[in-house]
Amino acid sequence: MDFFLKDSELDLNINWDFLVNDINSTLVYNPYCKSDNYYQVFKCIIISLLIGKEVILLDSDFSDNELINLTGFAEFDGFTQLIEKKNALLLADKSDLIQKIKNTCDEWKITLFTSGTTGMPKKVCHNYKSITRFVKLDEINKDNIWGFAYNPTHMAGIQVFFQALLNGNGIVRLFGLMPISIFKDIDENRITHISATPTFYRMMLPSEDKFPSIIRITSGGEKFNEKTISQLSEIFPNARITNVYASTEAGTLFASENDVFSIKPELMHLIQVVNEELLIHNSLMGSSDLITQDWYNTGDVLEIITENPLKFRFVTRKSDIINVGGYKVNPLEVEEAILSVHGIKDVRVYSKSNSVLGNIICCDVVRDNNQISESSIRTLLQLKIQEYKIPRMIRFVNELSTTRTGKIKRD
Amino acid sequence: METKLLEIINTVLENRTNEKLTSLRPDMNLRYDIGFDSLDLAELTVRIEAEYDIDIFEEGIVNTIGEIFEKLNRK
Repeated sequence: MDFFLKDSELDLNINWDFLVNDINSTLVYNPYCKSDNYYQVFKCIIISLLIGKEVILLDSDFSDNELINLTGFAEFDGFTQLIEKKNALLLADKSDLIQKIKNTCDEWKITLFTSGTTGMPKKVCHNYKSITRFVKLDEINKDNIWGFAYNPTHMAGIQVFFQALLNGNGIVRLFGLMPISIFKDIDENRITHISATPTFYRMMLPSEDKFPSIIRITSGGEKFNEKTISQLSEIFPNARITNVYASTEAGTLFASENDVFSIKPELMHLIQVVNEELLIHNSLMGSSDLITQDWYNTGDVLEIITENPLKFRFVTRKSDIINVGGYKVNPLEVEEAILSVHGIKDVRVYSKSNSVLGNIICCDVVRDNNQISESSIRTLLQLKIQEYKIPRMIRFVNELSTTRTGKIKRD
Repeated sequence: METKLLEIINTVLENRTNEKLTSLRPDMNLRYDIGFDSLDLAELTVRIEAEYDIDIFEEGIVNTIGEIFEKLNRK
């Protein structure tokens, strides 16, 4: 009954005792973690915490090209090492495991990659204190069951993982499943909490079913419209629906019950609004070469509702980063990948608003021969960049327009 | 219209190196029968919009080929 992780896709049902035994019998550790098996990712993070060593999370769908650019390597088997502090892994039971994780040393860090403002994704590191800053530990959380609806190697997924892990909750993998399986898993496992992108929720709609076990729905990463909220209230009649503002660099920062955000008094001195843009103090951020000054420009533009106490709404973003269903895509990185395809003279990547994903990536391409087709470009891009970064509409043009926000016309 | 929609759906399938369909039935489910994920559905809306000037998912996700025909006929 006391499960740690269920994954219906892989037919996995791991209970806490199994996890404890598995960790106790683990002799080796590899800091580079790249797996599409959620259990392997979670186990790797836990072992890193127990032995106090860095863990580097890599998306399971990174191409060799992306891996080499990000880490300098495409293969990581050579980094496997024997676990020295064997004592740290002699766990008695679930509560011993959780207690030892809470005592994680200061040297531990977790590294992940986020869309940079220029070129390739950038590395961001967090220590135990910064990654668990917003974990809510409480007796009332002990029976929560989390529907896990994020990529486990992304910031949002890591935060849900720590929230569940430190409260000793069960996790049910929902990310990447068909809606019919998601509904079945929610029902069978009596899931109580889900945190996901609006796209994830939109893909579950419309539905005739109701799921009373869900008491909390959290959403972030892109705008959530009123219609989706009201449809979700019908499917999850007992759920409180919350929006969060989060970023890979800082994690979850603020929450709201509608589209108006307010800031906790203790965070007030770490937030600034300059020229309507949200600035965050670097003490809230993970360390990264993106952050060189005291204040980090988020690129998010606000509309202030009240000054004191500060209440605001997010209006738009200043940067060129495109939000595709909660995934951040840097158009410059995509352009660089397309330009490396032989026979392509020029390219412009832009977004078009989309009712499913919020935004969709499109591009205009100038080619120097007619042999190059949409599918031949896509096939080559699949070897270079992750699927969500690949343009879904490729238009061949004689010359490029001057704006990124072009509108697709009928031929 | 059916031939054009089949062509659009096959373009989306081909772009993800999935097998093409030979025909469409109104009861075919976009997600379960055709196997579209959110990226595919998003691409489908853009391609249909480029052809017919209508956003089929404006009022929520549609489930079947029949529902798409209905939206296009209503236009």
